[in-house]
Amino acid sequence: MALLLQVLANGILLGGLYALMALGLALVWGVLNIVNLAHGAFIMLGAYASYYLFTLLHLDPFAALPLCMLALFLFGYLLQRHVLNLIVRAPMFNTLLVTFGLDVVLTYLAQIVFSADFRVVNPGYAGANFALAGVTLPLVRALAFAVALVLTFALWLLLAHTRLGRAVRACAHNLVAARLYGVEPRTVYALTFGLGAALAGAAGDLYGVVSQFNPYIGDALTAKSFAISIIGGLENPLGVVVGGLFLGILESLTSLYVGPTYTDVASFGVLVLVLIVRPKGLLGRAT
Amino acid sequence: MRPLGWAASTAVLAVLASVPWIASPTLIQFGITTLLLATVAQAWNIVGGYAGYASFGNSVFYGLGSYGTAIAMVQLNLPFGVGLALGAALAMLFALLLGLPVLRLRGHYFAIATLALALAMTGIVSNLEIAGRNTGLVLPLLKGDALFYELALGLLALVTLTVIWISRSRFGFGLIAIREDEDAAAVMGVNTTLFKAAAFTLAGFFTALAGGIHAYWITFIDPVSAFDITLNVKMIIMAIFGGAGSVLGPLVGALLLASISEVLTTEVSTAASLFYGLVIVVAVVFMPRGLVNVVRHFKRLGWRYFSENLRSHRL
Repeated sequence: MALLLQVLANGILLGGLYALMALGLALVWGVLNIVNLAHGAFIMLGAYASYYLFTLLHLDPFAALPLCMLALFLFGYLLQRHVLNLIVRAPMFNTLLVTFGLDVVLTYLAQIVFSADFRVVNPGYAGANFALAGVTLPLVRALAFAVALVLTFALWLLLAHTRLGRAVRACAHNLVAARLYGVEPRTVYALTFGLGAALAGAAGDLYGVVSQFNPYIGDALTAKSFAISIIGGLENPLGVVVGGLFLGILESLTSLYVGPTYTDVASFGVLVLVLIVRPKGLLGRAT
Repeated sequence: MRPLGWAASTAVLAVLASVPWIASPTLIQFGITTLLLATVAQAWNIVGGYAGYASFGNSVFYGLGSYGTAIAMVQLNLPFGVGLALGAALAMLFALLLGLPVLRLRGHYFAIATLALALAMTGIVSNLEIAGRNTGLVLPLLKGDALFYELALGLLALVTLTVIWISRSRFGFGLIAIREDEDAAAVMGVNTTLFKAAAFTLAGFFTALAGGIHAYWITFIDPVSAFDITLNVKMIIMAIFGGAGSVLGPLVGALLLASISEVLTTEVSTAASLFYGLVIVVAVVFMPRGLVNVVRHFKRLGWRYFSENLRSHRL
């Protein structure tokens, strides 16, 4: 029983970070109808930004979070504004291919610039634990979990209650009508993509603290973000949280009861099942 | 194709078939890789180009072909031909069983479901005792690059003939109708489920054969390399770069991209991948219908061809 509780706690903490990873992908997918295959590479860039801020400027990774987000936001904004806006109305194949091309470019540029060595952001409190209701929680994972929840809630507030959020949702809903009401989709698309990249930057910053990374982590993270977006649906950031927690717990339980080598089988098998049974996501609206 | 076309194709095929007698060993090895890549790109073309279903999971077929062949030869001591047949049968069974539910999905959802299948299969195979778990299997060594070259060339010719047949048959027109508007195709009497499953199974058959040939040639397979996810991306990019939904497109795309990548890899391996990524971005932005389409329309439109492509897809 104690073991099960511990495993569930680990799964929940992992799930919070997973949710944050998937959030940007789901946002961009839902609004721009682009599945950004470079999303995992953005997360990887966020991790490196945090790593260099920490090793060169001795900036704590949690303090560096806004900087990582800002850097990735600017990168994402410019990318959408000057490259991706050119193909946004092309068939789905093409947007997938272009973002895949970006993924390759970013991964190998990172390998040239940062080298292929594994890195980890290692602040003094990295090994600290605390006990809560009989389970031991690693401090950094718990902090990362909290930050992930706060950012998700902030995104929900932004989308639901601000002018920009309304413009973003209007573009997702009906581009022509949004234009008629004075929304400039070029800017809104760039802002949305920038926001998605900023969330990836935040996820990367936290990822660098809880796990080691190298330039090649992107593809697996993109695939997991996919799975979470599908399970949670694209309409609501809170759905993504449920998806992230679901996947985190599923992986922890699989690793305990079936074996650690089966975690990928479980997460991607569930993804296929969910798609077959409910193509719009477990929490998405039925069509 | 007109008689002239058939004559020209036969001549090209004859020249290609004579390569092992005149070329250097390195060139023959490059030839085998390229022919196999062209085969999987052409097989993807059936389901991705003609039926319009962007499968990111064809690597599963390749992996099943590799493992079917390897298990038959290593664990059961069967000859290579039986292994190939076993691998192809496995892949076709997989395409039918999982194709039926997955092919009900459309657009992104289909693409992602197939990608997830590919990822899950890697995990499953690396846990199977008969498949050698994580360490993989070592096949008997057969020195004879010329034989593998001719096998790969024959397979490419076979899949291309199949695509030529598709491009002018009722079956192919049904697939194109599904690509353009699946609901309308169903209304017009196309049995969409049957057609899609047939296209997926055909693609599975050819991809598995390519995987089986590759496994015996390389003599070593493990889950990560046999079910390599990037193989999906390679085949899709080759097909789209050349022109998906045409007979020549995937062949041209495979030859050009494999050559460029080969030349660059001999210089700096990282630079090759980097260049590959850039080529994809630029090609999709400026010539989204592929090289074959550019050649067809450039004479009439000139440079306007590119600016019109840009205008029709930008925001």
